[in-house]
Amino acid sequence: MRDFLTGNHAVAHAVRLCRTPLIAAYPITPQTAIYEKLSEWETSGKLKGIMMRTESEHSAMASCIAASLTGVRTFTATSSQGIALMHEMLHFAAGCRAPVVMANVNRLLAAPWGFWADQLDSLSQRDTGWIQFYCENGQEALDSVIQAYKIAEQVYLPAMVSLEAFFVSHFMEPVDIPEQEQVDRFLPPLDLPHKFDIDKPGFLVPVVSSELYRKYKHMAQISMDSVKEIAVRVDQEFKKEFGRGYGIIEPVMLEDAEIVIVTAGSITSTARMVIRDLRKQGHKIGLLKIRLFRPFPREAVQQALRGKKKIGVIDRNISLGSGGIFCQELRAALIHSPDRPLTYSYIAGVGGTDVTPEVIQKIALEVMNRVDPFDQPIWVMEE
Amino acid sequence: MKNPDHANEFVIPISYGSTEVIETGKWGFQKPQTVFMTAPCQETCPAGNPIPQFLYFATQGKYDEALRTLLRENPFPGVCGRVCFHPCEIDCNRSQYDESVSIKAVERYVFDATSDHLPDILPITNTDSKQVAVVGSGPAGLSCAYFLALLGHKVTIIEAQKEPGGVMRWGIPQYRLPKSVLKKEIQRIFNLPIEIKTGIKVGEDLSFDELTRFDVVFLSPGAGLNASLFIDGEDLKRVRKGGDFLERLNSKEKVILGKETIVIGGGNTAMDVARSALRLGSKVTVAYRRTRAQMLAIPDEIVEAEEEGARFEFLIQPVKINLLKNKRLAVKFQRMRLSDLDQSGRPKAIPVKGKFFTLEADHLITAVGEQVDLSWIPQELIKNGLINVDSSSMIFAGGDAVDQPRTIVTAISVGKKAAISIDLRLRGESLDKVFSKIKVGNKGSVSMESYLSGRDEGKWPEPKGVILYDRINTLYFEASKKINMRKLGFDQRLRGFSEVSCGLSSEEASLSASRCFSCGTCNYCYNCYFFCPEGVISLDPLHQTKYVDFDHCKGCGTCAKSCPRNVVEMKEVS
Repeated sequence: MRDFLTGNHAVAHAVRLCRTPLIAAYPITPQTAIYEKLSEWETSGKLKGIMMRTESEHSAMASCIAASLTGVRTFTATSSQGIALMHEMLHFAAGCRAPVVMANVNRLLAAPWGFWADQLDSLSQRDTGWIQFYCENGQEALDSVIQAYKIAEQVYLPAMVSLEAFFVSHFMEPVDIPEQEQVDRFLPPLDLPHKFDIDKPGFLVPVVSSELYRKYKHMAQISMDSVKEIAVRVDQEFKKEFGRGYGIIEPVMLEDAEIVIVTAGSITSTARMVIRDLRKQGHKIGLLKIRLFRPFPREAVQQALRGKKKIGVIDRNISLGSGGIFCQELRAALIHSPDRPLTYSYIAGVGGTDVTPEVIQKIALEVMNRVDPFDQPIWVMEE
Repeated sequence: MKNPDHANEFVIPISYGSTEVIETGKWGFQKPQTVFMTAPCQETCPAGNPIPQFLYFATQGKYDEALRTLLRENPFPGVCGRVCFHPCEIDCNRSQYDESVSIKAVERYVFDATSDHLPDILPITNTDSKQVAVVGSGPAGLSCAYFLALLGHKVTIIEAQKEPGGVMRWGIPQYRLPKSVLKKEIQRIFNLPIEIKTGIKVGEDLSFDELTRFDVVFLSPGAGLNASLFIDGEDLKRVRKGGDFLERLNSKEKVILGKETIVIGGGNTAMDVARSALRLGSKVTVAYRRTRAQMLAIPDEIVEAEEEGARFEFLIQPVKINLLKNKRLAVKFQRMRLSDLDQSGRPKAIPVKGKFFTLEADHLITAVGEQVDLSWIPQELIKNGLINVDSSSMIFAGGDAVDQPRTIVTAISVGKKAAISIDLRLRGESLDKVFSKIKVGNKGSVSMESYLSGRDEGKWPEPKGVILYDRINTLYFEASKKINMRKLGFDQRLRGFSEVSCGLSSEEASLSASRCFSCGTCNYCYNCYFFCPEGVISLDPLHQTKYVDFDHCKGCGTCAKSCPRNVVEMKEVS
């Protein structure tokens, strides 16, 4: 069924379709619409699961972890200060290998206060052991939640699907809502091998020796690494069932490109148009969208950018004292590439500022004109 | 998930072993300890009734346990649940929070709910059992006999009347204390090996000296003589004595009164007489020489008498009674006024010079006090019109015949103290030393349970302190109303001698009992259990046990802070 939906409601549809029995959440702008929609459906009976209204995001995540360990699918949605408050429990979720799925609506972190789109909230959580997806639009957010369950439940790691505040969360677009039978076919019922068993009581998160701690982390890293391959496979299965696929990265007009603009999230949509126009003008330019951020698709990125001359990475985030986070990751991924391209870090859209076609074109042209390496992040301001 | 590199290991950090091997309890420097205390209700109860404990069982609907708990300290829960002046409810800590707990009403309910069967009460094994004579079988005598029997002594009661019970049998009217209730209480007492000889009057059928064949004698003859007004006309036929009047009613004799009756007095007997007279169809005027504030009757009784139509005239005293030609009485009254305080702390009533007036009535009943018949008591045991025994002899005394407040529960209490004193005297122990250990608070009550707990070894623990309101953690309680017993309507009351108080329903009883703060004791509210972050507390309400796993208690003190009754104390350990 095709409907005109906000990104938030698209996410809510995905959660409903995945037959998630336990949703524990705490409202926060701009995510609240997800919470409200699911609550509404709980009341009407459309949602088969239970909404647990917790007193904080920290408790919401703790509840999800506990419920997940009883062997059920769980979901929470949050944003900004909410995910910051959850931080401790994010580590627990990954450490307990609980395949919790969360939607995070990217909103700037205080201070100062604001509600606008910025990826720093989820990117600050990159080392917590969560799989992270960044979505371009509502449709992708819906599809990514369904895919996230399928991936997370194979590797026993939690997964986060990020969509930007307002640009995705509140903008209404036509969205295909899959049929329940399709989703049921795609996503099998959850069957965790390690669920709590009252006949065999266990004590979770025991104190362990240094060696054992290292072993758990090592095992988790192996699992995390395997996600890159599994995510590709799951995306292909998804395409087969639903006719749509995204890949873990998406190369756009890259074949003969010398210059590449790299984006994530909603800026990609705008960039697609700018790149198309620049191509028409004869520029050898392409676009690379990064959808999977954790694990970082190093090999896929290396391959996609092989032989490119210059890269401009646009980051709607700033790691103070370093630069754009996507750019850091990308530079690290390319460090051993032969004839590696010059990589420039552009900071645009921080705090929800608009990244217009003009801004992207300005960046593209600037990359074209640059000849020397430049390490510092380059802030792009409106005229 | 099985990790591919570690095929047999799960990746989830879970331990199926026990963490108990880590003795976290050794980290602490303090440990919780339950320190039970005496609730003020129990301290104030002359009989030392274990009130929080019996209410705890009542809350659970365990009325047999509640009854047995009461019977440890008081053989008359059915009587006290009806006629006691319940000072416990005045001192109830809850009265400082919202309203006191209906202790008396629940006590009555416990008796009523269990009255279809008799509980097993067994005396202790006493290899050194002695013979004790108890003279008189009122509340003091029966209480003394009951506790002596529990202590394994052989008791013989000598009763002048044809049935036991004293004032409970012959004084208190049926509408306050139905005889069936008293009968059941007495039946339960006589399930113990107690012998009774009725219709035997010491001094007539048996000489005082003959009592000396017993090892010990307890004198509790009561105050059966009606005090006199000492005025002209007191011997007229239509002038009666209150005690005799009530005794005739309680003997089911036909008693007829005229249309109007004057009752003289302000105590419980006066109220009993007035309300009985109302039930016989007479209009009643109560004449009292002081004011309402000085009346000795239980306040509830005064209120109920008023509700039933008794008229009160204060500050008057009869000086002369004349018989009129129409056979009615003309009673001349002297107007009185209040003056200085007397020895009992009440203001004296003194005549207002020259102020007299006359009231007419068909009958006049006096209820101005009771006196002790001392005709058969040796002179050396008499002091100020009362029995006064030597503290070192084998003759003990109690009840209304000695110098003590004349209430049922005081008599019960004195009976218990006498039983313990007798047992101690027979064992050659110091009374003062033991009484200082088995006391219940500081208002004179003692605990038979405490006495029994140390009797075998002759060693008693220190008495518990009294827990006051400020120690109660009231945040854990919700305000609620006191539930009072329903009463018969006024019309119904005056139609006969049916019991006025209707008692509580089972829901009301359980609700009333559950209002108890359980001051100073544990009622298994599970607060400590739920709040303990270490999960080291085990409670077993069924066996009334509490257990703390000290190997794993870190001594955080959460249990102490969360106890609504503050009976958990943290004690430092080295």
